[in-house]
Amino acid sequence: MRLGMPRYESWTAERAREIIARYRHLEGATLPILHALQETFGCVPADAVPLVADALNLSRAEIHGTVTFYHDFRREPPGLRVLKLCCAESCQAAGGDALVARAEEKLGVSMGETTLDRRVTLEPVYCLGLCHSSPAAMLDKRVVGRLDEGKLDWLVKEARA
Amino acid sequence: MSARIFISRDSGALCVGADEVAQALRKAFEKRSLKVEIVRTGSRGLYWLEPLVEVATDKGRAGYGPVNVSDVEALLDAGMLEGKKHELGIGLVENHPWLKSQTRLTFKNCGIIDPRSLEDYKAHGGYKGLEKALAVGPKAIVEEVISSGLRGRGGAGFPTGIKWRTVAETPPQQKYIVCNADEGDSGTFADRMIMEGDPFVLIEGMTIAGIAVGATFGYVYIRAEYPDAIEAMEIAIHDARKGGVLGRGMAGSSFDFDMEVRAGAGAYVCGEETSMLESLEGKRGEVRAKPPLPAHVGLFGKPTVINNVLSLASVPIIMERGGGFYRDFGMGKSRGTMPIQLAGNIKHGGLYETAFGITLGELVDEIGGGTRSGRPVRAAQVGGPLGAYFPRELFDTPFDYEAFAARNGLIGHGGIVVFDDTVDMAKQARFAMEFCAIESCGKCTPCRIGSVRGVELMDKIMAGEDRSENLIVLENLCNTMKFGSLCALGGFAPYPVMSALTHFPEDFGTERKRL
Amino acid sequence: MWAELRELRDGIDTGTPPRDGPNVTLTVDGVEVSVPAGTSIMLAAAKAGRSVPKLCATDMLEAFGSCRVCLVEIEGRSGFPASCTSLVADSMVVRTQSDDLQRLRKGVIELYLSDFPSGDIPGGWSEFHTVLDQVGVKTHPYAPIDNHMDAPIDSSNPYFLFDPAKCIVCSRCVRACADIQGTFALTIDGRGFRSKVAAGMDETFFESPCVSCGACVQTCPTQALIEKSLFVGGYSRG
Repeated sequence: MRLGMPRYESWTAERAREIIARYRHLEGATLPILHALQETFGCVPADAVPLVADALNLSRAEIHGTVTFYHDFRREPPGLRVLKLCCAESCQAAGGDALVARAEEKLGVSMGETTLDRRVTLEPVYCLGLCHSSPAAMLDKRVVGRLDEGKLDWLVKEARA
Repeated sequence: MSARIFISRDSGALCVGADEVAQALRKAFEKRSLKVEIVRTGSRGLYWLEPLVEVATDKGRAGYGPVNVSDVEALLDAGMLEGKKHELGIGLVENHPWLKSQTRLTFKNCGIIDPRSLEDYKAHGGYKGLEKALAVGPKAIVEEVISSGLRGRGGAGFPTGIKWRTVAETPPQQKYIVCNADEGDSGTFADRMIMEGDPFVLIEGMTIAGIAVGATFGYVYIRAEYPDAIEAMEIAIHDARKGGVLGRGMAGSSFDFDMEVRAGAGAYVCGEETSMLESLEGKRGEVRAKPPLPAHVGLFGKPTVINNVLSLASVPIIMERGGGFYRDFGMGKSRGTMPIQLAGNIKHGGLYETAFGITLGELVDEIGGGTRSGRPVRAAQVGGPLGAYFPRELFDTPFDYEAFAARNGLIGHGGIVVFDDTVDMAKQARFAMEFCAIESCGKCTPCRIGSVRGVELMDKIMAGEDRSENLIVLENLCNTMKFGSLCALGGFAPYPVMSALTHFPEDFGTERKRL
Repeated sequence: MWAELRELRDGIDTGTPPRDGPNVTLTVDGVEVSVPAGTSIMLAAAKAGRSVPKLCATDMLEAFGSCRVCLVEIEGRSGFPASCTSLVADSMVVRTQSDDLQRLRKGVIELYLSDFPSGDIPGGWSEFHTVLDQVGVKTHPYAPIDNHMDAPIDSSNPYFLFDPAKCIVCSRCVRACADIQGTFALTIDGRGFRSKVAAGMDETFFESPCVSCGACVQTCPTQALIEKSLFVGGYSRG
């Protein structure tokens, strides 16, 4: 268990307002604001929606519709580490499916789930632009290519560390 | 002795350990008290050789790859810094047949220059295009781009100059340049390479576009799955502003042009131009009906040029060398060069920029080297998840927009995903529908409901349930999606499905039809 | 207010709002018709007495182009453009019927029916039922697995209820709440097949910013949104 600083801040409306204030002047500010909130809190909590709506003079239905459209925006923070395995065609062609099955087995979760100890979230991603070196994966923001069983096992170990 | 070596920081090199190799080399130089400058570049695009270490010698840059941390000591002992022989040596990089046979116009700087140095960009001819553009003025810029025959490299293949002219002819008002960097097609990475390896060529291209049509602001919409590209573009934009080539009165002219990066949030459909506009406006990425065209009513209702990264990145060289120079490459109505991306189960994955006309077979077998697994090639999907699967019988198709369309395929963004003979084409057809269902914006019926029914039908067909009846239902569904969908996501999803059915019927448990 | 809204429904809905401007003359199924430039083909067809089946279009709202039922053929142009979002042009020749168009409309309706309560099909009198008659399709060839038939009914508002099983995600309610009423209480939650009409932040209608104006109910083509006064003795999905 990595002791020390938690990855994300706990939610406070004040902190959220601070973040919103930094980006609200942008044209079409919604997505930059949502990204910034998720960077800070690990997710876009439901409580954030009315705050964003107020700041941008939009309805909370509109903001809610936007948040729920994009797969990247989470309702709750993910596990400590997020391991994304590419499931698109190029990685399929290079044997990615078998590695997905291996990762699920080693972590004891299905794609899209988080381990019980909340350490690792395993997710599919559709293309990382590393198709020249398929199969590919991303652990948090770090990219890994030419995945094979050995590399995957190492990734899983890293994710759990 | 002072030396200079080059290691890529492109994410395609990072993903196989380039940072670790750079670190190890730095430590080794310290230990050996060597004064060596390490320059981090983009990638040359010969990805099977990454991490590629290039050493500056008086004969040119000598390459060594793929280098592991464990190779570092041996390489230094063997005299890598003098370009001496080693089993990982590939000789002078510029002479490598893979590179030498290419026509690198758009990618001429990638892997050579330091993407974080405006000076290095300029030293390699950067901003000559903008200089020319400012000298000849908006109307002449548009004419030059039209004469080049440049067609949108995102996939639609619409003549770029015509699009610019439409926007240029709208009355003066706030106008925008939007760069589509939502490169979501599996098998494609050319946009990523440019943003990470030669960001200033994109900035220059967008600036020229701005001058041409009267737009003062641009957005680069980059997919969230490209964090390194996002960072690289943000750094480059910051440097461009500092260097005076972005902003009010940029490059000492009377024109204003500035730009900013916007990140997507996990929606492939936002690569469709009107969906992208909705997303930039802060809304759900639902596709807009056309008319009106974005050229007339675009971002925030204003006239907008939307172009792919490669289209914009090709503009500086068109301005510098002239439209005729660019036009001379290619065939038929496919002019200029296409950065082709080789991917999938392939021996030599990478970026191959060449004039239109080369055949698919040459690309897969000779240049790509066939499969990485060593097994026979069974199929190649060209053009991304909405592209057709071509069997070997169609590998004589030349890379040309019309030639691929004539065989019910498409070039799209130029990605080729190679499959060996372990591929189950029914599974691939099912995935085409599944991907459509995952990424559907949900606005139009054929895509929203059709993709889900398509997956269910494929499941039944693959399980052998009422196979012939369900194949007929699937064919009718494909017709509805192809002609009824609001955009190309639902509209083209039938292409991979129908191509799999047509060319690989044995995987669906049916006889090959006499066509 | 509710009676007025019901009366409005009895007039002909030309599909898209009228425009002003110099007239343009075109032919629809051989019938010549003149309408102002900027008018949709759908409206021109209605004026020519050759109405095209439609679901997501209504002349109270700007065209949306999502249902894909109103497709037509235009001579000299490939494909099958939506008549609601396509504009007239001088000397344009439009066909509203053909084997190809019938095949496409059938295909679209079958997809709708694959996610619609089958018991509601006979005897219904909504716009959707009219379209089923127009296109002549009441069944579908699918054995659907994923569907919305178990979606819970929102009966929180005293005047109307929302039955998502009948929702075809045409977004007319969302657009009416935004453009006619200016309340912006409705949105679409999620995307793709998971898309659903939601009030506020996916709250009940009663808890949401909905002001009970009835614009959404008036415009819903399938009666997924329906006035409680229209049925006695409890609502049944059918």
